[in-house]
Amino acid sequence: MTENLSIIKVEDVLLATIPSDPDDETIAKLQDGILESMKKYKVKGVVMDISAVETMDSYFARAIMETAQMVSLMGGETVIAGMRPSVAITTAQLGLTLKGVHTAIDVESAMEILRKGSQEGREKK
Amino acid sequence: MKEQEKGSIQIETSTDIVRVRRKVREIATTLGFSITDVARIVTAASELARNIVQFAGSGVMQWTILRRNELIGIQLIFVDKGPGIPDVELAMREGYSSGNGLGMGLPGVKKLMDEMEVKSKIGKGTKIKIIKWLRK
Repeated sequence: MTENLSIIKVEDVLLATIPSDPDDETIAKLQDGILESMKKYKVKGVVMDISAVETMDSYFARAIMETAQMVSLMGGETVIAGMRPSVAITTAQLGLTLKGVHTAIDVESAMEILRKGSQEGREKK
Repeated sequence: MKEQEKGSIQIETSTDIVRVRRKVREIATTLGFSITDVARIVTAASELARNIVQFAGSGVMQWTILRRNELIGIQLIFVDKGPGIPDVELAMREGYSSGNGLGMGLPGVKKLMDEMEVKSKIGKGTKIKIIKWLRK
């Protein structure tokens, strides 16, 4: 059974909402869906809203890091938004770090990070 | 919960990992564990169930609600007839992961739980028992 997964375009960013207890199939679909949508909409970044997620095991954490790497290879940035305190505690105790992935307290802050990132990019030019 | 103080779930595919997570979440929540402890127990169960799917092919999780005087706990035993862990002591050491970089493995699970016992025989299988006690 695959839980509902939504990937929508908001401004020039993809917003992917992760269900509370995704199975491996859903996680694989998420990865494919994000990369396909990136190409289709030519967005500059991805916000992964994990505020509903209640459990993050090492497989899930690795899949998120891997997805962020893939998004980066395609020229985008990923921000993980809204990790619950219980999930943050568990993930850290398990010894997992979301290395190289931006994080934000909520979706709004995540969008802000991506907006700022593109501004900095323009200033550099 | 009184009538059913123990049970088991067969583990073969990744769908079973989700079933394990849901069952363990249900039991731990009903017993009254905090949100964070529920997350710890469910995550530990998810890791061990995944080890079975990935390395042993199939196995079983046996769950039991422990009642000792005033103490209430949840006990989960993961049993498989897989290849076994060559060096349990090494596998329990922090930073150890089995070859293909899968998971932080057993040390992470140990940190999340109160008690952990690993028994393994090469070619025979592995039995891992984890317990979390409810703090009132």
